[in-house]
Amino acid sequence: MKISSQKTGIMLIMPSVFVICALLVYPVSYGIWLSFFRKHSFFPEQNFVGLANYVYLLKDPDFWMSLRYGTIYSFSTISLQIIIGIIAALILHESFRGRNFVRGIVLFPYMIPTVVAILLWKWLLNSEFGLINYFLRTIGIAKEPISWIGKDHIMTSLILISVWEFFPFVVLSVLGRLQTIPPDLYEAAKVDGAGAFSRFIHITLPQLRNVLFVVILLRSIWMFTKFDTVWLLTQGGGAEKYIRTLPVYAYMRTFMYYQAGLGSTLAVIMFGILIAFAAIYFKMFRREEGI
Amino acid sequence: MQFEKKYRVVLGMVLSFVIVLCGTAFAAQKVVHVWHTETNPLSRTAIANIVARFEALHPDIKVEAEALAWGDLEGKIMAGLAAGSPPEVSHGQPVTCAALQNKGLLLPLDELVNHIGEENIWDQIKKVGKFGDHYYGLVHAAGTSLLVYRKDLAKEKGIVEGPKTWEDFLDIAEALTTDDMYGVTIPGDNLFINILTGELTKANGGILFDDQNRPQFTGKSMMEMLDFWKELTKYMPPGWEAHGYLETFANMYGQKAAMMYQGYGRGASLIEQYAPEHMANTDYFDVWIKPHGPGGTKPAAQVDEEPWMLFKGSRNPQEAIEFLKFFYEDDNYLEYIQTVPIHFFPITKSLRRNKDYLETPMIKKWKGWLDVQQYYLENDLVKPTLIIDWKDLAEKPYLMEILGSGILKDMVMEVTKEDVALEKATARAQKRAEELLERGGYAKW
Repeated sequence: MKISSQKTGIMLIMPSVFVICALLVYPVSYGIWLSFFRKHSFFPEQNFVGLANYVYLLKDPDFWMSLRYGTIYSFSTISLQIIIGIIAALILHESFRGRNFVRGIVLFPYMIPTVVAILLWKWLLNSEFGLINYFLRTIGIAKEPISWIGKDHIMTSLILISVWEFFPFVVLSVLGRLQTIPPDLYEAAKVDGAGAFSRFIHITLPQLRNVLFVVILLRSIWMFTKFDTVWLLTQGGGAEKYIRTLPVYAYMRTFMYYQAGLGSTLAVIMFGILIAFAAIYFKMFRREEGI
Repeated sequence: MQFEKKYRVVLGMVLSFVIVLCGTAFAAQKVVHVWHTETNPLSRTAIANIVARFEALHPDIKVEAEALAWGDLEGKIMAGLAAGSPPEVSHGQPVTCAALQNKGLLLPLDELVNHIGEENIWDQIKKVGKFGDHYYGLVHAAGTSLLVYRKDLAKEKGIVEGPKTWEDFLDIAEALTTDDMYGVTIPGDNLFINILTGELTKANGGILFDDQNRPQFTGKSMMEMLDFWKELTKYMPPGWEAHGYLETFANMYGQKAAMMYQGYGRGASLIEQYAPEHMANTDYFDVWIKPHGPGGTKPAAQVDEEPWMLFKGSRNPQEAIEFLKFFYEDDNYLEYIQTVPIHFFPITKSLRRNKDYLETPMIKKWKGWLDVQQYYLENDLVKPTLIIDWKDLAEKPYLMEILGSGILKDMVMEVTKEDVALEKATARAQKRAEELLERGGYAKW
């Protein structure tokens, strides 16, 4: 019996469809379904409440505070990662002695586990015994110990640690693209009298556009939903209240308040915000590219 | 033909292997899963030794003991329950024990208590796990919070008596504060702020929730407590809110702070390990009985005493009880207690009188620290986290949610770090707690 090519095709994609349904469609649908319930996180107690969870959160000052902190955190980290990442990639694209070694070193923060990185940073930033305060006081910049993970500086510390940890991703992506830009373009520009800055603006940046489009999209999604770095920085002491971003708040609602319904609602809201952002982003920039 | 013979030999071997495997499976040991919060290497080794001796006596039982950080334990218990595969026994916060008992998820431990001898257990300990006529939790060891101070520095300032009231304490904190030394250090993380809030409320004669479960955060007692906390911050390191428990001890043995309000006996080991050798004793680091607030008459402290809980729905609960009976036998229990001797106050009176226990070098050296703990325990001055009255354990099963929510921590932060007016911060916390209790179906007002 001969199986038609159409049926063969369907059979071949079935495993993939199954995996996507099991790992993507089901969890997302279950999360959305949960958001309509008042449900205990672990006990089998639940009541259908319709949109009440959404209404509750829209009136919840902590939700708005988390959204604010999350926006500040993701916007600042993405901007700095992109700027520092591009600068680092441009430097690493130049020829100099030990370039390969430096390229390896730059990747280091991205390669070490987050938990290790955060533990190291917490000790470096310790107000009483940390190396950074010791250094700042020794050279006379600070007179009193600065509480880097206290109320006033924890957001700045978090942003800087996150940028340190994730900018190598931008470096890798941009450096990869830089290496494929035809040198003829630069040579022609030089012949036409273009300086370094002008070459960067008129050749390098336009060539990087597609890469940056993807990098900004991915990093925006990852930073907006970043949980581990934020959470670990405040475990065992840390002014958690002042960096309680949306993913942290969703976690707290689910696993500390034991309100799975509200936790799911927060997750769905985050999902919605990201979809809206992605749609606007695509509309604004992808259309310009004509792709 | 030869092929067939070879085939038969291979088949025979495979069948024998399968039969052996099946035999092993049928004769399999009963597994008892034990989760505990003592992650330090000495305690883990002691538990491993006890398990080995138990298994040697009971070849049909296998004990799988797992040490978990306290921060992970409650979540793991809940996940195990939700998945229908809880461990046989586990440590947990007293409020967790109360919540799970309230939901009917625990099995009684009366057989274990009778085996140890009810009279042999300190009264305070019995109150933690007894609900109605049955025991649903039995504490592994108790360690009370301690007000640790630098005795040498206090002497230098002519301070020989400990503070009786919060006012005295503030005076002492001020006197001990110098350019190089903070008067007092307190952890800023959620658990310890909750611990301290409960403790100070009790010491000020207040309550956190009334009989209808309505939060009492806007009352006079809470205001006085927050005011005291705010005053204290004048003598604390500026970034205290970022300090965890271990960092506050580092402030003590690292000679950055003269007093530690939330110390524990466990810290004596840290002092021995990290303070200069000549200072690692009670001439330098001693303890005072804690002061009380303007609304209170007696000191109050918190007691760190996770009970063992036996889970309904676990596979081998009877074997787990046998293991716990073995655990509390004097020799085994002593080995466990001696791993953190100043923090693990034994639950049995017999062990507290035991000669080997009393001869433990650390116990002799830090005797004053244990005497204060015994004073608290004998006079019923200590309670578990957020428990003001013993009946709260049975009647307020939502304390676990309150603890996790961070509502109390946010309130303290707003008052001490953000200069929010007391009335505003307490009203916000009150509203949040009321909403939490209403959503959880606990509100009776």
